[in-house]
Amino acid sequence: MPGDVQLRALTKRYDETLAVDAIDASINDGEFFSLLGPSGCGKTTTLRMIAGFVRPTSGEILLDGVDVAQVPPHNRNVHTVFQNYALFPHLNVFDNVAFGLRRKKVAKAEVRRRVEESLELVELGGMAARRPQQLSGGQQQRVALARALVLRPAVLLLDEPLGALDAKIRKQLRLELKALQEEVGITFVFVTHDQEEALSMSDRVAVMSNGRIEQIGTPAEVYESPATVFVADFLGVSNLMDAEAIPEPAREHCTVAIGDFRLRARAGDVTASGPVKVVARPERVELLGHGTERANCLPGMVERTVYVGSSVQVMVRLATGAQLQASIANTGHADDYEQGTPVCVYIPEDALRILGDSGAALAPAGAPDAAPAPETATASA
Amino acid sequence: MSTSVATPEAAPRDAAPEPARPRRSLVPKFLRNPWGQPRFLVAITWTYVAWALVPVVIAILFSFNAGKSRSVWQGFSTRWWWGDPSQSIFHDPQYTQALAHSLFLAGLDMVIATPLGVLLAVGLSRWRGRGSGVSNSLMLVPLVTPEIVMAVSLLVVFTQLALFPFNAIHLGTTAQVIGQVTFSLSYVVVIVRSRLVSIGPEYEEAARDLGATSWAAFRLVLLPLLAPAILASMLIVFALSIDDFVVTQYMSSDASTTTIPMYLYSNARGGTSTPALNALATILVSTTLLAIAVGYLVYSVIGHRTSASRGGVSALRELSGMEA
Repeated sequence: MPGDVQLRALTKRYDETLAVDAIDASINDGEFFSLLGPSGCGKTTTLRMIAGFVRPTSGEILLDGVDVAQVPPHNRNVHTVFQNYALFPHLNVFDNVAFGLRRKKVAKAEVRRRVEESLELVELGGMAARRPQQLSGGQQQRVALARALVLRPAVLLLDEPLGALDAKIRKQLRLELKALQEEVGITFVFVTHDQEEALSMSDRVAVMSNGRIEQIGTPAEVYESPATVFVADFLGVSNLMDAEAIPEPAREHCTVAIGDFRLRARAGDVTASGPVKVVARPERVELLGHGTERANCLPGMVERTVYVGSSVQVMVRLATGAQLQASIANTGHADDYEQGTPVCVYIPEDALRILGDSGAALAPAGAPDAAPAPETATASA
Repeated sequence: MSTSVATPEAAPRDAAPEPARPRRSLVPKFLRNPWGQPRFLVAITWTYVAWALVPVVIAILFSFNAGKSRSVWQGFSTRWWWGDPSQSIFHDPQYTQALAHSLFLAGLDMVIATPLGVLLAVGLSRWRGRGSGVSNSLMLVPLVTPEIVMAVSLLVVFTQLALFPFNAIHLGTTAQVIGQVTFSLSYVVVIVRSRLVSIGPEYEEAARDLGATSWAAFRLVLLPLLAPAILASMLIVFALSIDDFVVTQYMSSDASTTTIPMYLYSNARGGTSTPALNALATILVSTTLLAIAVGYLVYSVIGHRTSASRGGVSALRELSGMEA
């Protein structure tokens, strides 16, 4: 059961506003693909166009090579898990799951078999006779999944399916959802504004902003090697700083001037010159004792410390005036960084990434160290 | 009255100064207590309830009067209901005719106005574009138009206008039904639309997503979810029709089109009326109350059961507000 989706110059215009601006994307068969972005970035509109609820203004949606842009939703082999699940409240769990099969005029015995099978798949075997209102939020979400999966769609669309749940269940369901996707092998297109969710589950992520796709890549790529300022900023705290790039003949690294300090950067657009933005992830920034003589060090002073449990966020005011955040693993020395402590901020050269000011530079995956666990990816963006 | 409470007027002579004494107030203590029951408001409420209900209760009581008087109690009997073989409401043809005609009109109004109102409500909720906003507001005009204005307009249109289809409508049952449907339709639209808003578009979208055609999504998902609102609308239309006097009166033709309210109006002041008139009024009151109560129950019980938590209460408020 193939299920690859190609979006070609897909555009949706509402009167004056361009909700989705000629996006191109290619989603592979069996892939867990996320559309990530802030509200109003066009991710939900894109999903609703793939589902068929929104008619594209122009462009193509190729589902296994066939353009379905003008096909009504009930004739597409694409099914949706809605944000609020939209389980039919007047039907019990069994009838909810059987709804789609009955529309396809599947034989009665076959309906029973497949409904039971798919309820088994989401571990709701004994719940068939319950009403949706009698289930917990997590169970309702799994019914919604079963209801869509029972139809064996080529592509399953998920519109912030975890958004309505509380934090603890959400984390658990994240793992379950990913495991389920691997089990059924169906292409998942997942819409979310939660970067942790997108990074922890997806095979690839498309980061969207203002109706455009800013970057498509694996979670590690978009997090470690953001192509644009927006991607860097949206995926966690990015410690964005203005700098002046001074290209080197070697072209393997680049010297950047941040204020009066010169640092060496090895990641991103190392061939840039002139004014650029540089970023460094908080968890790659190290704090050393005041007065340490070392390359790529910037002097600063601790301005504020935020205790978040697994780590400590230390805000440092650099001598250049910029503010930088460092995320220090909580090893029991959190109180080393009291307000006013002078420190030296060390940014490893492979952690200092140059973003072309145009924001268009798409850097090669800079072979970063292991992808950081999502928990250390600092406070929510 | 002095407003300075905190400053003592003279230096206290005792070593330990007395604490400032609270001012005497004309308001009794139980009313001054800010944490106490709002007794005064409760009293006003009960006074009003009694004022509004007592006359009705008295009228109902006198339908069980043993004597002919509608103001002097002569003992309990059910003669005006069914005991008297010629003058009780179930035997006197004047009463039975009015009763039957009222129920007939209410039934017709119910089965015509409800489906039409549901279709209008669904149509209005989908109509985006030019004219949709205006027609939305215009739907409410019949709700606020003085009934007498609507009745007189309809009368003029049906009797004076030589234009099809108006000239094909003659006063009598047909005109009465059309008149009643005209104003009760708006109530159906308002109730069903409020329910539509609380249902939202997701369920229909989900049905379409699962392979249902538009018609199947409407029939299998939207209609069952609308059921409580539809049932409630039917009962409210029934109650409106039973109660209606002005439009029904203007659209009537002869004695065969007399309804309970019309009969009550023309006979209430006459000295010849018996407590059977009270019995007739009692039927009117109880039918209306019953219809409203059942409508309310259906809406809240079924509505709550099928709509999880979304909007059930607010829709109920809307419904009860309508009849207030």
